[in-house]
Amino acid sequence: MNAAIEAVGLTKDFGRNRALDAVDLCVEEGSIFAFLGPNGAGKTTMIRLLTGLARPSSGSLRVLGQSVASADNAVRAGIGYLADVPAFYNWMTARETMRFVGSLYGMTGAPLEQRAELLLDLAGLGGVRARIGEYSRGMRQRLGIAQALISAPRLLLLDEPTSALDPMGRKDVLELIASLRSRTTVFFSTHILADAERVCDTVAILNRGRMVAQAPMDELKQRYSKQKILVEVTGGAEALATAIAGSAWASSVSLGPGGVIEIAVSDLAAAQHAIPVLLSRQGAGIERLTVEELDLEEVFVQLVDGGRP
Amino acid sequence: MNGYLVFARKEGTEIVRTWRIWVLPSIVLFFALTGPPLARFTPELINALAGEQLGQFQLPPPTYVDAYGQWIKNLSQIVLFSLIVMYGGLVSSETRSGTAAFVLTKPVTRTAFVIDKAVIHSAFLTLTLVVGTLITWGVTAAIFGEAPARTLWAAAVLWLVLGVFFIALMTVLSVLIPSAPGAAGAGLGCYALLSIAAIWEPVRINSPAGLAGEAASLAAGAAIPSPVWAVTTSLAASVALVWLAAVVFQRKEL
Repeated sequence: MNAAIEAVGLTKDFGRNRALDAVDLCVEEGSIFAFLGPNGAGKTTMIRLLTGLARPSSGSLRVLGQSVASADNAVRAGIGYLADVPAFYNWMTARETMRFVGSLYGMTGAPLEQRAELLLDLAGLGGVRARIGEYSRGMRQRLGIAQALISAPRLLLLDEPTSALDPMGRKDVLELIASLRSRTTVFFSTHILADAERVCDTVAILNRGRMVAQAPMDELKQRYSKQKILVEVTGGAEALATAIAGSAWASSVSLGPGGVIEIAVSDLAAAQHAIPVLLSRQGAGIERLTVEELDLEEVFVQLVDGGRP
Repeated sequence: MNGYLVFARKEGTEIVRTWRIWVLPSIVLFFALTGPPLARFTPELINALAGEQLGQFQLPPPTYVDAYGQWIKNLSQIVLFSLIVMYGGLVSSETRSGTAAFVLTKPVTRTAFVIDKAVIHSAFLTLTLVVGTLITWGVTAAIFGEAPARTLWAAAVLWLVLGVFFIALMTVLSVLIPSAPGAAGAGLGCYALLSIAAIWEPVRINSPAGLAGEAASLAAGAAIPSPVWAVTTSLAASVALVWLAAVVFQRKEL
């Protein structure tokens, strides 16, 4: 499979501040790729480099097979882009903006009108006649997504595409992104981890300009997986927690409110065998025993927090 | 090529649909309409205001030459100042608002972005000047009964070359200086420097520095040295400034 985006040792400095530090990145064509990181991690800088709005300090960056440094109109014609804070000409209407953007991509006549109509309807702006100057942030974001799709781009770069949307708008946008799978490469930055978990195949996590993880979603969860077991007993929770804490398969044990014992386990099978034995030894009655997987948020916190001083 | 045309169309539409359509044409039309009557009644006004202080001194009767002179003087001072202030943010207003990034992530080159702005706003200035000069010509003819076209249009064309030079200058300044008032200040500084440089004759007759003075002399019906060099160097400098703006803008991060 070809790479839609390929970065090697990508570094970007702003004076003394290093925004991106030797980032290696490979985004396969047709994938939906989530670029995660806390605020200030360097996500927007990365997207600005991808669009050619900024230049790398060092390293190489290729988009759709061509170096960004020499990217011409032909490469840009294959890219759709939504900025984190979308800016438009306030004197235009949404329809005029779609026509303007479509014309820049060389679209004309009926195909342009039909495509603009379709996307405006999808964005919920079909009947809006007002000038963009009167739009709310959410409406601007919807228009931003619609205009990014006007040319049916090979690569869609979305910077925080759902950040200003209400829950319904978020759902619609995520469904739209999911529907592009395998036809368009979608690279979107977000700090809303549930969004990434819902639609993306591959995840990269950036922290303070450094890539801390990049893998397919399932693999990432598996790699950082430390399943946890929740045990609720009728009595003797404290003694049981102490007994579990001494076991080799338990990474950490905590006793929560209501006597719920939360155990992070490194060896799930061993834990599943040992816990009933310990329960019977302590003479405790079991009320509930559940095994839970770490979600992306927990993986994220683990990776990002791990890097904190 | 498509990017040039589409962005140029947007730039033209923006002039018509925003404040730009009101400011420059209003200033130009105001002076086109009021210049000739002001020239006609200036002696009466001075007599009324100065009264006996003038003594035996008699002001010559006004002619179309005074109306033409008034027109060129207004263009070279107030209209040129307005141009400088208006175009201080020609490029930087778009980089600051994010619309430059919006456009330049599409198939449009930065060169097209800069060139289109300079060309379309020069065309807008030309159109406004033609309308203003036509009105001055008509009002002058109506008031003075005489209005030779050649001197007025020759002076207006000479001034237009200066106007285009200043649009090119403001294009490069608005690329270099992110703040619109800052670029306008730099533009006014360049205007002052050019005015001072015009004292030296070789500069005056061979560069944009002397264009305003030559236009005023032409309007007054005075003989002027051939303006060919001044026009040629001004147009060449305008092209060079826009090219410089495009080169600098290419290297800028947005």
